[in-house]
Amino acid sequence: MYRQAIIGVLWALIIPLVSLATFILLNASGVFNVGAISVPYPIYALLGLLLWQVFATILIATTSSLVNAGAMVRKINFSKKALVLASAGQSLVPFIIQVVLLSALFLYYRVTPSVYTLLIPIVVVPVILLSLGLGFLLSLANAVARDVGSMVSILMGFLLFLTPILYLKPSTGILAKIADINPLYYLVSSARDVLLKGTTSEWMGWVVSCLLSLAVFMFGLVVFHLTEVRVAERV
Amino acid sequence: MDSECAIKVEHASKKYCRTLGGSMRYGVKDIARNTLGLSSHSDTLRKDEFWAVNDVSFDLNKGEALGIVGPNGSGKTSILKLLNGIFWPDKGKVSTRGKVSALIEVGAGFHPMLTGRENIYVNAAILGMNKAEVDERLNDIMEFADIGDFIDSPVRTYSSGMFVRLGFAVAVNCQPNILLVDEVLAVGDREFQMKCFRKMHELKVDEEVSIVLISHNEYAIREFTTKCLVLERGKQVFYGDSESAISYYINSLTNAKTYHGHAAADMSRQRTASGLGMKDAIAKPEGDIIRKVIFRDSRSNETNRIYTGERLEIDFHYETSKTIKSPIFGINFYNELGLFSGFWNSYEKVKLPDICGQGCVRVIVDPCDLPVDSYQCGVVVCEEQESNVLEWKDLPIGLVVQRPNDARGFQKLKQSWKVVTK
Repeated sequence: MYRQAIIGVLWALIIPLVSLATFILLNASGVFNVGAISVPYPIYALLGLLLWQVFATILIATTSSLVNAGAMVRKINFSKKALVLASAGQSLVPFIIQVVLLSALFLYYRVTPSVYTLLIPIVVVPVILLSLGLGFLLSLANAVARDVGSMVSILMGFLLFLTPILYLKPSTGILAKIADINPLYYLVSSARDVLLKGTTSEWMGWVVSCLLSLAVFMFGLVVFHLTEVRVAERV
Repeated sequence: MDSECAIKVEHASKKYCRTLGGSMRYGVKDIARNTLGLSSHSDTLRKDEFWAVNDVSFDLNKGEALGIVGPNGSGKTSILKLLNGIFWPDKGKVSTRGKVSALIEVGAGFHPMLTGRENIYVNAAILGMNKAEVDERLNDIMEFADIGDFIDSPVRTYSSGMFVRLGFAVAVNCQPNILLVDEVLAVGDREFQMKCFRKMHELKVDEEVSIVLISHNEYAIREFTTKCLVLERGKQVFYGDSESAISYYINSLTNAKTYHGHAAADMSRQRTASGLGMKDAIAKPEGDIIRKVIFRDSRSNETNRIYTGERLEIDFHYETSKTIKSPIFGINFYNELGLFSGFWNSYEKVKLPDICGQGCVRVIVDPCDLPVDSYQCGVVVCEEQESNVLEWKDLPIGLVVQRPNDARGFQKLKQSWKVVTK
């Protein structure tokens, strides 16, 4: 992934650093209303971004996985699930790097992370399941119509600002209504509450979202399994 | 499928869509229907669809080799893809037993940024080997590929020959039960091709590997495979022993039933006067002196299929209103590859009397030692000297020279054997 690049794997660190810097800057100039939070904003933002990035990178990578490996799909017979899973696995590398970055931030701000922060590997599971389930479906769709791939990359940027991740959920208005029914909001924001405070005010939404993720994953897997034998001729 | 059988294909058909738009529409529909468990009506053609493989059936035992021949676009590679499980047949059934290793296209499955060595591991993993197994065979693979220091360079720097070397080395070293080889060996050099055939022979005989070989090299098919399938526009037009299959295939080409007729015509247009072996002949006058050319075999039967080493008669039926003084008749042969293979003319042998009106000139070639091949022919008539060409034209039918059962190789030469002592 990072071959023929001078600084190679360092890119995995630089990309989140740059986006983090952007958000700190935006926050400092008061663009976002973050409200009252218990930890410094960079930690708050990075934690949310961490979970969000897992979703976004897996979804983007898996969506294009079949098409990118088109030459191989058309010439070698192997399980196409492996392609989707491998591209998802690749997206987890930046996640791990960002966890390291997060620890550095905790040290820098001299904030003692709560013991619940260790739950990261658990709260990330439903995020992975949701993105994999959608990824299975979208990779097939992208194999048939390339529009899907372009659409996903654009939507990701849009969704990031639509979901209260870098700012607090407003109590009224259209954004609040959307957040109420947006499983990503619960999977990222409620999960972040759990990591920081050990509890969240939106248990119900989070549990429902987790179950939904599981359902989406199962559905995606079944559809993919049923159709992967026919996909080679369409890629 | 009985225990000896490695591949069984029963009435398999596969359709493709000609247009991208159609392919997308049908793709969405089919995927939706497959998901819902509905039949996707795969047995009928929709608009813009065509059968790339149409009702093909064959079977192959362990340790046997099957050849597939046919013009470009006749469905050869699609059959390999069906056998490899990349595509599923729309109709019929394809069953294989054991591990299938395929060499379908140059460089398939290689990641351009990874080195040759890394790609060996990736490629072998796709073929179902774990790291320990590859470690064990790495030396065999590298030795077979024999690409020297390039093994540690990214494969995008490879030549197409190097790709095939590496691909073939991995494919034959992963202990397959079935080996599918598309026309990729052709890019390897002579020595490597020979090495590949030796290796495939070894696999076939020693390890009972079943091999399916696509080749445009009829000699390779003839010598290496026992059975052969001839395809034409997706249809199986002949299936039987390789010798008959090749004869059938070549005959169908020389009779110009397929669009290959045009290719042959293009080729003949490119032939120059120098190819005729005549120094000064440059123009190519089209006359109508030679009305008909008839080939006869050793029993004087009219045919354009003879055996090498047999007697061949050629009758030139002419008609001319004007007297031609000391005519010279000639015929040239171009083999399947379009190479100039022979030129016989009367000038070198005999001075023919002047001709006028209708008549026939016959040449007897005994034995006819033209090597086994199929030939396109051109005939020429000159007056008094070779440079004075009156007519020069290509024959609509070619001559097919076959191998007799009692001969090996491409020719049957007269020979006498004795012990010579001093």
